[in-house]
Amino acid sequence: MLIADTIHKTYRKHRVAVPVLTGASLAVHPGEFVSVVGASGSGKSTFLHLLGCLDVPDAGIVSLDGQRIDHLTGRDRDRLRNTTFGYVFQFYHLLPELSALDNVLMPAYIAEGVLSWWGKRAAWRKRAMGLLERVGLGQRWRHKPREMSGGEMQRAAIARSLLMNPRFLLADEPTGNLDSETGDTIVKLLRTLNRDEKVTVVMVTHNLELARGTDRVVRMQGGKTTEEARPAGPKFLSLVG
Amino acid sequence: MYKLLLCLRYLRTRYLAFICIVSVMLGVATLIVVNSVMAGFSDKLKSHLNGLGSDLTIRTEAPAGFPLSTPDIEQQLKASAAGQYIEATSPTVETFALLQFTYRTPNGREIPFVKHVKVMAIDPARHAKVGKFGDYLVNSKDDPASCFRMTPAAKEWFDLLRGREARDADQRRQWEEFAPTPQPAVEPGKNIFGQPTPKVDGGDLPADLRNLKPQLPADPAADVPPPTIILGWDIAYAYPTDPKTGERYELQLLKPGDDVFLATVGSSGTRPVSASFVVTDYFRSRYGEIDANVVYVPLEDLQKLRGMDDRANCLQVRLTPDVRESPKFVHDTVLPAAQAIMPRPESHAETWWQQQGSLLSAIEIERNLLNILLFLIIGVAGFGVLAIFSMIVSEKYRDIGVLKSLGASGGGVMGIFLGYGLLLGLVGGLLGTGLGVWITLNINDIEKWLAATTGRAIFDRKVYSFDSIPTHLDALSVALVNLGAVGIAVMSAVLPALRAARLQPVRALRFE
Repeated sequence: MLIADTIHKTYRKHRVAVPVLTGASLAVHPGEFVSVVGASGSGKSTFLHLLGCLDVPDAGIVSLDGQRIDHLTGRDRDRLRNTTFGYVFQFYHLLPELSALDNVLMPAYIAEGVLSWWGKRAAWRKRAMGLLERVGLGQRWRHKPREMSGGEMQRAAIARSLLMNPRFLLADEPTGNLDSETGDTIVKLLRTLNRDEKVTVVMVTHNLELARGTDRVVRMQGGKTTEEARPAGPKFLSLVG
Repeated sequence: MYKLLLCLRYLRTRYLAFICIVSVMLGVATLIVVNSVMAGFSDKLKSHLNGLGSDLTIRTEAPAGFPLSTPDIEQQLKASAAGQYIEATSPTVETFALLQFTYRTPNGREIPFVKHVKVMAIDPARHAKVGKFGDYLVNSKDDPASCFRMTPAAKEWFDLLRGREARDADQRRQWEEFAPTPQPAVEPGKNIFGQPTPKVDGGDLPADLRNLKPQLPADPAADVPPPTIILGWDIAYAYPTDPKTGERYELQLLKPGDDVFLATVGSSGTRPVSASFVVTDYFRSRYGEIDANVVYVPLEDLQKLRGMDDRANCLQVRLTPDVRESPKFVHDTVLPAAQAIMPRPESHAETWWQQQGSLLSAIEIERNLLNILLFLIIGVAGFGVLAIFSMIVSEKYRDIGVLKSLGASGGGVMGIFLGYGLLLGLVGGLLGTGLGVWITLNINDIEKWLAATTGRAIFDRKVYSFDSIPTHLDALSVALVNLGAVGIAVMSAVLPALRAARLQPVRALRFE
């Protein structure tokens, strides 16, 4: 279980301090598909980064299965990011020099040394190809990001996030750069993966329509998690309204 | 694994990387070419300098020199520990003298010249075996032993000059200038400053030499051929500027058959002696210091002139080829043995590189300075790599964030850029080595092509005694240049790599 408790985060530049998170809390249960919604600047992305060990909170606790992960050493945080969390970003963030397959394999390249890689190379490639097949890019594995559409790049990014079999998939506005139809496809894919692969998904979005397909919706306002609702319940309608 | 993958991929896909590679390549190639040419010139000059003399010289500063037969110094040397390394020896008398001659202009004007020269009295046949003396003779290159003999043309010219009364009168007048003139105001036994004059009866000479009278000069008016002399090329030839054209031209001051006067001191060290010598040949080493200041005379003649019968003050030694190229061995083994056969302190043995030490040091210093200056070129290339790496890191901000979000460590990201620098250095160094070696091996063809294209000679063969640009490719210096280039490329990558390593993934992902 991933828990964030009363997280505070302030960005500072010179003497200007911008408080972004002022006591945000969230508990994510295994197998859940949670969406975090809120207006731009409400602190959703920062909150997601802190949950996924991409940043360190100024105050508050982030714990995984009862162990604090907010003050881990660099090497442990790197390992956690490599194996426990998978990330999907709004702008896909594929490496432009690499093919779709190499992009998907990147977490494995990071995990393995040169020698160990050659021993496990075939297994990793098989898994990466399987994931590309799964996201509908089986035929596009040789293609570079510039040769793919936005939806295809996001699907390749999702395949990459799943390579190491992570327990948590953290998606930051995964449809923010896509048309609504493609966005729907991506959310459906995330839902399918959540259901079939039992991967816990935390998705940040400002699109409440997309949040309908998730198990739980958390609203953020002014750097705090303010309300929670089930998409099917009456409270969700008030969030939408 | 990702470090290697990304290094190779960045190398292939970033055109900026090619700029780094080209700058390192050009720096390495330049250093290799310049080093090789400098080393080539240095080798040629060393070989040239070595050829001018012998490998080893045993010298005494005693004015009377050392006896050659009792005891036999050459036998002593051959019997010493150095004996097995000796290929040839040549006794010589070396001293300083004033050279006087008259140049007659085409319109009959006579211009007297007086020069301070170094006289080398040699046995030409033996001297040719201890160095490259024979190679530098202009007319008797093929038969050095005959260099002191007048050719028929020289003899004819000599006889013609002898027949001229005016010339004889002029000779007498000049002879008077060289002859010691009594100073009427000077007290007997004292010089013009009132100081006691040194003994002129042989001083501390051995008893058998005290009464030895110089046998030369012969009476200049007598009908006996005077001894012969070989002049340094720049003594016999002058290069004045033509006032009409402004260009320098070659003017022959002395030709074979002309006579010159040589005035020096006798073996006592105080008695002035002089004689007339007839020019038979020139010595042209193309080393200005030698060509402008050295004259060669037969050993026997100078011995007679100076009153040092069967004595010499130098012994030139040629070493066997196996030890000639081992300065350390010569210095540690041969030199002390040679030194031991002569009493100190007025005598000493020294190698050719000790004699030419200052010049050789100057060449070495020049080469090292040039290396440092040229290495700055690679240093500049290093700054180029630094600038380009900074650009690449800035360009790759988001990718660095992605890698870190996927679990790459700061050290790993730093490793990518350091590895990238190393790879650029290696590839640039490798290509630069190829280019540098190719240019070095084909430098003469390139020079000919450039000269033909531009119409200007780049390597003026008249200036040097060799026909092609000398090169010497040294594997160690090529390796050092490459090591330096790779080191600079890696060092240039350190700062950008550190910046990349310290980048927070969130900041990097947000970078626009």
